[in-house]
Order: sequence, then structure tokens, then C-alpha cells
Amino acid sequence: MYQTIVFLPLVASLIAGLFGRQIGDRGAQVVTCGALIISAVLSWVAFFQIALAPGDHALNVQVLSWIVSGDFNVNWAFQIDTLTAVMLVVVNTVSCLVHIYSVGYMSHDPHIPRFMSYLSLFTFAMLMLITSNNFVQMFFGWEGVGLASYLLIGFWYKKPSACAAAIKAFVVNRVGDFGFALGIFAIFMTFGSADFSVVFSDVTSYADQSIHFIGMELDLLTTICILLFIGAMGKSAQLGLHTWLPDAMEGPTPVSALIHAATMVTAGVFMVARCSPLFEYAPAALEVVCIIGASTAFFAATVGMSQFDIKRVIAYSTCSQLGYMFFALGVGAYGAAIFHLFTHAFFKALLFLGSGSVIHASSDEQDMRNMGGLRTKIPVTFWMMTIGTLALTGFPFFAGYYSKDMIIEAAYAAHTGVGSYAFGLGVAAALMTSFYSWRLVFMTFFGESRASKEVQDHVHESPQVMLIPLYVLALGAVVAGYVFSGYFIGDHYEDFWAESLFLAGENVMEAAHHVPTWVVASPFIAMVVGFVTAWYFYIKEPSMPGRFVATFRFAHALSFNKWYFDEIYDILFVKSAMKLGYIFWKRGDENIIDRYGPDGVSAAVVRVAEKFKALQTGYLYHYAFAMLIGLSAFVSWFVLGGQ
Amino acid sequence: MEIGIEHYLTVAAMLFTLGVFGIFLNRKNVIIILLSVELILLSVNINLVAFSSYMGDLVGQVFTMLILTVAAAEASIGLAILVVYFRNRGSIAVEDIHLMKG
Amino acid sequence: MNEIFPNLAVAYGEIFLGIGAMALLMIGVFKKDSVNLVSWLSAIFLVVALFLTVAGTGDVTYTFNNMFVADKFTNFMKILVLVAATLAVIMSREFFRLEGDDRFEFPVLMVLSTLGMMVMVSANDLMTLYMGIELQSLALYVLAAFKRDSERSTEAGLKYFVLGALSSGILLYGCSLVYGFIGSTNFSAISMAVSNMGEGGAPVGAIVGLVFVLAGLAFKVSAVPFHMWTPDVYEGSQTPVTAFFAVAPKVAALALLSRTLYVPFGEMSASWGQVVIFMSVASMILGSFAAIMQSNIKRLMAYSSIGHVGFALLGLIAGNAEGLRGVMIYMAIYLVMNVGMFVCIMCMRRKEEGMVEDIKELSGLGRNHPALALAISIFMFSLAGVPPLAGFFAKWYVIIPIVNAGYFTLATIAVLASVVGAYYYIRIVKIMYFDEPVEEFVAQKSFPMKIIATLSAVLVLAFIVPQISSPVLDGATAAAQGLSQK
Repeated sequence: MYQTIVFLPLVASLIAGLFGRQIGDRGAQVVTCGALIISAVLSWVAFFQIALAPGDHALNVQVLSWIVSGDFNVNWAFQIDTLTAVMLVVVNTVSCLVHIYSVGYMSHDPHIPRFMSYLSLFTFAMLMLITSNNFVQMFFGWEGVGLASYLLIGFWYKKPSACAAAIKAFVVNRVGDFGFALGIFAIFMTFGSADFSVVFSDVTSYADQSIHFIGMELDLLTTICILLFIGAMGKSAQLGLHTWLPDAMEGPTPVSALIHAATMVTAGVFMVARCSPLFEYAPAALEVVCIIGASTAFFAATVGMSQFDIKRVIAYSTCSQLGYMFFALGVGAYGAAIFHLFTHAFFKALLFLGSGSVIHASSDEQDMRNMGGLRTKIPVTFWMMTIGTLALTGFPFFAGYYSKDMIIEAAYAAHTGVGSYAFGLGVAAALMTSFYSWRLVFMTFFGESRASKEVQDHVHESPQVMLIPLYVLALGAVVAGYVFSGYFIGDHYEDFWAESLFLAGENVMEAAHHVPTWVVASPFIAMVVGFVTAWYFYIKEPSMPGRFVATFRFAHALSFNKWYFDEIYDILFVKSAMKLGYIFWKRGDENIIDRYGPDGVSAAVVRVAEKFKALQTGYLYHYAFAMLIGLSAFVSWFVLGGQ
Repeated sequence: MEIGIEHYLTVAAMLFTLGVFGIFLNRKNVIIILLSVELILLSVNINLVAFSSYMGDLVGQVFTMLILTVAAAEASIGLAILVVYFRNRGSIAVEDIHLMKG
Repeated sequence: MNEIFPNLAVAYGEIFLGIGAMALLMIGVFKKDSVNLVSWLSAIFLVVALFLTVAGTGDVTYTFNNMFVADKFTNFMKILVLVAATLAVIMSREFFRLEGDDRFEFPVLMVLSTLGMMVMVSANDLMTLYMGIELQSLALYVLAAFKRDSERSTEAGLKYFVLGALSSGILLYGCSLVYGFIGSTNFSAISMAVSNMGEGGAPVGAIVGLVFVLAGLAFKVSAVPFHMWTPDVYEGSQTPVTAFFAVAPKVAALALLSRTLYVPFGEMSASWGQVVIFMSVASMILGSFAAIMQSNIKRLMAYSSIGHVGFALLGLIAGNAEGLRGVMIYMAIYLVMNVGMFVCIMCMRRKEEGMVEDIKELSGLGRNHPALALAISIFMFSLAGVPPLAGFFAKWYVIIPIVNAGYFTLATIAVLASVVGAYYYIRIVKIMYFDEPVEEFVAQKSFPMKIIATLSAVLVLAFIVPQISSPVLDGATAAAQGLSQK
């Protein structure tokens, strides 16, 4: 069954990719969607068998031996435990819905088989990542999703901005992957194996050990964990390595929903949770995770408030929510982090697909300033987006309410410095989340339409094939929190997670259930305040944003320009790398290597050739002279030198 | 003064040198080149006959006969080619023979 | 040894060709419109001579007062010469049939010069050597100038004649010195005398004589610095003449050079080795570099042949049977490649312009005449020495003995020279396949031409197959051992 879940998308991808011409658009869609539906259904079966049934049902599925080199043994194998089962459900459900949605969304695209093939390939890589039982296979999946992400962001390869975004995503991820790879090397160096089971069972014996590296004394496990976390930062777009995520919105919207909201970007969260036995023994690393996560949550939320591109707003929202997950991990609330991952997948995919529906309806317009008043024109989409927004902002009894509030409470309950930091920023971010989410809804669906006449006439509700996935996700966004909170973070915690998550000390979530009332209420209050502000700004007093911007020019500029990250990176890395490259190219390559190498040699050859050609004058007496010169030279050589 | 083998050899060497110089110093007339070639062959003949007589061996003289015969054939072929060339070019100046070069 | 009546059996091939040439001359003179007949008879006579040669036992046999020798080495080289000559006769027959300007003297001259080459190969005396060279050269002078109404052809003949006569003079002067200072013209006698003198004991006169002889022979193989005639003569002569020049005389002269160096002066290898090294290196370098700037395909082939002679000479430097074997294999492969290439060059013909020789005319040949372009590519890659084509093995079998003998620098220079050489060979391939097509050539209608080109290309391609290459390798091994033992 597990082989089917994992490999069916690969098979579908190969069929759609290699035989797309033969089976046609429809064939490719049927094959890939069919495969994904089967995988999704089986994932739910697995989820019920592994996670929800009482007792520990974790199992290892051996596929085949992969690398055997000296002490280095790596197998293709699946580790199926609750964590994996949760991820299977998330990935396959969202992927399946996105596949179906794409049938409608991409219906006018000339390269449907290629798109479907990439989507399925991505799904396969993601499944590889979450089912692996060792770091190497995980790295394979890690790189596989990076590749698929690159291909899909750059799917419209004729658009220069899409290509640039694809390259940016790839390069920024490479920075993180470098850390991840180093972490894996360090793990193999330390533990002599890359298998999770070996590494995690030996971890206690390496706690508090230190290594010496270029004169510094570093705690071994902390170093490993931070290296791994750098990988997670790249993939999950955490502060510093987040710049690629907003640009990745150049890809088709279903891609944004699948890869850049629900699945791939959560790989970092998954990886840290998977490595919880390591991180638990590296408290310093956990603090780093917490600080980065909280900062990202805050930072991305501030940026999200001022953006006008509907997808960018959601992208920054994603970035922010990932920050929540990380600081939950950082305070030891792994269950809460994964729960948020789980619910977030539903409502964020819903928001993305909903925004895709909006974009689809308003003739590929993405700028919210050119929207407005769409509520009556596309009511279904409006309601779906509203549900998503309610879930995201943590409206009571919607999915986000359970997971996000739990995270904020856990941060408070940690009673540590970083926990308090995270709590403060988390609440602030919740306020801003509420603000930008409602701002999005208000700007898009309320007020007067600001679109051109032509676009307005074209506005139409999306076809059913796009709406059905929305219904399913909406259902998830509404009920996922209520139904599963007991398992993920509540009373059934122990039974549900079994061995898949590890805690060295106290369960912070236990404490989180007993925090003061003001703490419990604070996210809700923040949400309400955010909502009211947004309402005031964009419904009641539409001139307010302009005045606000005029008053707080600096703050707005900072937010609108994304804290100048791209500009700083451009100066720091891109420009200087270009300059360095230019120097190597002009000075090093052209002036030295080419000049004395290939160009120089060929020029010399031509010069010599011309000399030789000039020797051949065509005059008899010169020819005879050459012969005699040769003759006398030989004679002299023999008579004078040779003997 | 006794005339010995070395005198013959010296004369032959001088003739040979003259012939060689005649070939590559002369820029006027191809006929002179043909004459120079004959001069070279004659110097060889002098050498051979001198050695032959010096060693009391007839081979050298036989060789000389062969060379004389072949030289005659060579001269005739050379002149024939020269005639053909003159017909095409209207000149037998050595300097003019440089249609092909490079 | 001094039999009253010489053993003619050893020289049946030569005798037959000599008489045959006279007969052909008679037929040509007295029978009207006999060009076709004379041509095909020439080819047949050459083939018969080939059989008569092969019929020989291969044992070392001397005749005509030790002036003439036959052994496995002469057999091998004569086979090459006769094959080359036969193909050249057929090619020229087809060429003149298309080009007009048919004259019966042409094949007769070829037969006569082939006879000269056979004598050269079998020469065991300075006199035989001279007679062979002159018989060959006199016929070649005429062939070079054969197109009487062409300035280029006659200039080629004149240049070849003057320089050839000079080289003959130098050679003869060398012969006279060797005769005088060593006391004999016979190779066997010279060999014995030289070995009695011991290493370094040879008189200066003899050494100078050897150098002069060497220079005369180097002229015939067109080794630098005695190569100057080659480009002009190759360019000026008609293409079938060039094709003949490029192969048969080279093989014969190289055979003669090998025998002269190995048999009479084998003991003096330390002395002549230096000269041969110089000639070899200079030829390889000049052949590679000077060809780069050429625009005339025949002139390019001339420089190419100079370069290839440089490579062949490498084998002689090793001074042992292995090296000599390399030379023989080299010449065999060189023969096939050149014959094939010249057939292709003869296909460069337009309706109005007639024959064209500029390399630019090959532009776009890959599209106009794919088969011809493919054949030329095969020959070019082989001449450049690209594995697994025959040309690669040719170089392989001369460079390995050099390396084994410890001449590493020399081997390096050889490899570098072949790299430079690859440039101009592969440039032709580039022109054929990547440049804009020009006007098409007339399709080649001659059946024999097609056969020769195809067969050569197949042989070049298939040399790697042991069944194809082993006769050449085995023959060369046996012949080389026979010669270098003495």
C-alpha cells in the first residue's frame, strides 16, 4: 500500500511527461488526477490505521538497497509513523485537489501534460521526503521538491520574471541545502549512519560533546541541529532566506497553493519535527529556531499589510504562518507545530485556490487595487475566501483557532525568554494577520469595482472542477481543528503521536492548557482588533490608508519594500558576486586564460602558419637555396658536431 | 708536381659548387640552370673516374657511363619541358616562374 | 655469386613491365584511337606484375651481380606501389574520359615510372638506386608537365625537373664519395665495410657522401627541407597526376630510404639518426602549420603528405624492426587514405567551370552530396588520426616504437603536430557540413571511381577489425624482421 502511495504519482508523472503527446491533454489529466486520488484515499486509510488506531503502529517498509559504500549503507525505505501519516494526508489530499483544480485553471494552457507531469513529480518527491527513514533519502526528496519547484515556478518559461523567480528560488534554496547537506555529513561523521533509527537512539551518548572547528569550540549536537535548521530555513522561507517565496508567486496559482503554501515549504517544519530527538538535546539550537520563527512571523506579517498583489499577500502570510510553526517547534510544542501545519495546509491552500479563482475571474489581474466589488459577481469564491480568512485569522471554532492559539499559548507557557519573545511577536503578528487578511477580502470583494470595463464584463464564476476542490478544502478549514485537536494537541496526544515525536523534558502543551485567561484571550482580541481596523480602513473610511501612509511614511516604506531585503541582498551578494565574476571573466578568463590559452595558441598557430606560407615564395632559386642550406647544415652537423 | 687523387677531387668539388651556385644564383635563364645541372653531373663523373682509377676498380667507370646516358635523357626531357613552358609563358626567365606559391 | 647468366626469375615483374611498356608504346603509336586500350592494358599489366611479384618466395634472393634484391620487404613495398599505380591508372583513365584531353602516353609514362619505382624498391647497389630513381623521375617530370597548354602544369613540370635534377646531382655526388671512400657501390659490400670500420670509424668523406645520398632521397620523399617542390607540383599538376605523385613514388622512395639506411649504413645509425630526427620533426611541424592557411585542396594535400612523411620517418628513427614495421604499416594506410581522398577530389567538378580545387567549393557538400561528404569526412578524420579510423593506427604503430626506444620528446612533438594538423582536416568537414551550400557538383558517373572511393572508405573504417588489419600487420612484421636482421 505504501509503495502505491509513493510511487503512483511517479508513474503518473512519467506517463504524462513522456507520453503527453500520445495520450493528449485529457489523458494526462485523467492519469495524474486518477493516480493522486488513489494515493489520497490510501493516505487517509493509512492515517486511520497508523495514527488514529490506539497503540503504536509505526512500521518500516523496505523497498530496496540504494547505496552501499564501505560503512555507508543507505536503503530505500519508508518509515511510516504518525508524523508521516499526517504528512501523507496533507500532501496527498492537497495535491489531489490541486490536480483537479488545475484541470480547470490551466485549461487554456498549451502545455497541460507537462504541467500535470511536473505536479505529479513534485508530489512524488515530497512523498519521498516525508516517508524516508534516513537522511539521505530525505535529502533526495528535499532536492526533488526543489527541482519540481524550480520547474513549476518557471513553468511559463517565456516570461522573464518567471525564469528569474525560478532561478532565485533555486539559488536561495541552495544556500539552505548547503547547510542541510553539511548537517547530514556531520551526522554521518558522528553517528556513522544516516538512518533515523540509529541516529535517534544514539543521540544521548553524544549530548554535551563538543567539536573543534577553526579554533572554535562548538557543541556537537547544536552545530548539527543548526546546520539542519539552515536547510529548513531555506526550504521554509524563514527570515533571511525567505526572499524567494514571494517571487515564487510567478508560477501558476495551483503551484503556489500546492508547493508554496501547503506542502514543500512545510518540509522544514516536518524535518525539525522529525529530528525532534536531536533538537531536544540541543536547547541552544531550539532557541535559535524559536527566535527565527517568531521574527519571521512578525516580519512577514508587517510586509503582508502593505502589499497589493493578492498572491504576494498570501505568500507573506504563508511565510508568517511558517514562522508560527517554527517558534512552536522552538518551544517544544511539536504537536502544535504539526497541527498548525495540518490546518494551515487546508486554509492556505483554500486561500490560494480561491485567489486563483479570483484571478481567473478577473482576467489574470493580480493587483488588488484593480479589483473590488467582486462579492456579488463571484459569490461562491467570496464565501470560500471568507472561510479561509476566518480559519487563518483564528476565528473561534475554525481550524486556525485551535492550532494558532495553541502555539501562542505554548509560547507563553514555555516561560523562557525566547518563549516570551515569541509570545509577544506572535500576538502582534496575529493582529496583523487579521488586518491584512481582511484587507485582502475587503479590497477584493467589497466596495466599488476598480477594474476596467472590459474586465468587469468578463468576470465569471469558476467552473465546478475548480470549485469542488474549494469546497473540500473549506470543509477542512472549518472542521479540521475541531475534529483533530484532541489528537494532535489534546488528550490523545500520547496515544496519537506515539514514538514519532520526542520530548526530553516537560510537555509544554500540557502547561499550555493551564495558562491565564488573558493569554488565551489575547489572540482573539488581536484578531478582532485587526478585523475592526481593516474594516475601518477599507470599508468605513477608505481615505484612511492614504493618510496613514502619509503619516508613517518610514514604517510604510519599510513594510512596502519588504524591509529592503532584496535590495540589501542585491548589494551584498548579487552585485558583489557579479562584480567578482566580471573580474574573473574579463581579467582572469579573457585576459589571462584565453589570451595565453586557446586564443593565444590559435593566434600563434596562425602566425606560424603565415610564416611558413611566406617561406614558400614560388621562386626556384629559393627552393634550391633551401635545399642547399639544409644540405650544408647536415654536413656541418655531421662533420663538426656529430663525430 | 705529381697530380694525385686529391687534385681530381678538388676540381670535381669546385665544379660541383659552381654548378650548385649556378642553379640558385642565376635568375635570368633556365638554360643556364640546365647547364649547371650538367656541370654537377660532370663533377660527379670526374669523381667517379678518379676514384675508379685510384682504386683500380672498374665499377666507377661503369657508373659514369650510366650517368652520361641518363644525363642525356634528362637534358632532353628538361629541354622539352622548357619548350612547352616557353610556349605557354613566352619567357624562360627564372624570375617569371612563380605562378604557384604559398 | 658471379653467375654468367643472371637469375631472371627474381625480376620477372620488372622485366614484364619493361617489355610491356615498350609494347604499349608501340600499340599507342601504331594503332589509331588506342587510348582506352592502352589504359586498360596498362592497368592489366600492372596487375600482372603484381602477381608476378607476389609469386616470389619472399626469401632473400640477389641477382644481377648483387645489384638487385628481392625479399619480403621488397614484396610488401612493391605490392603497395603496384596497387597505387594500378588505381592511379584507372583513376586517370576515368578522369581523362570525362575531362577530354585523352592521350595514350599518359598510362605508358605511369607504367614506366612504376617500373622505376620497382627498381628503386629492389635496389641493392648505388647504381641500381640511381637508375631506379632516374627512370621514375624522368617519367614523373613529363607527367607533371603533361597538360601542355596549361601554365600551371608546365611550371610544375619545370620546377620539378630543375629541383629533381639538382637533387639527383646531390645524390650522385654522394654516391661518388661513398664509392671513393668505402670502395664499393654495392649495399652488401658497403655494409660489410662499414661494420669493419666500427662505430665512428667511417671516414669523413663517406659520412659526407651519406649525407648527400640522404638529401637526394629526402627530396624524393619530400621531407623538410627538401620539400619545397611538393606544394607547387601537387597544385600545378592535373589531379590524377597528383594522386599518383602523392602515393606511389612516396612509397617507393621511403622503401629505398629505409633500405639504404638499414642495410648499407645500418651501423652508422647513430650518425644518420640525428638527421632523420630533424627531418621528421621539421616535416611534421611544417606539414601541420603550413597547411592551415591553404585554400587549394591539392596544395593542402601536399602539405598533408609532407606531414605524413614526417610521421613515417619517425619509424626509421627507432632503428629497429618494430619501427620499420611501423613505417610499412603507415605507408599502407597512407596509400588507402590518399587514393580515396583523391578520388573524392576528382569528384569536385562543375558543369561550366570543370574541375574546381578551392576548399570553399566544398561548402554545403553535406547537403548536396551526402555520400561524397561522408567519404571525405571519413578520410579527413582518418588523416587527422582520429580513432578508431585507420589513420589513428598508422600513427600508433610509428609512435609506439619511438616511445619504446626512449624518444619521449619526439613522441610528444608528434602528437602535438597531429593536433595542429587535425585543425585543417576537420575544418574541411566543418566547411562541408556547416557552411552555406554553393553550386552543386556534377554527379560522379564513373563506376570504378565510386568503387575505389567506397572501398577505401570501408577499409579506413574497418581497419580496426582484426580480419582486415592482420594481413597488413603480419606482412609488415615479417618484412621488417627480414630487413633489419642484416
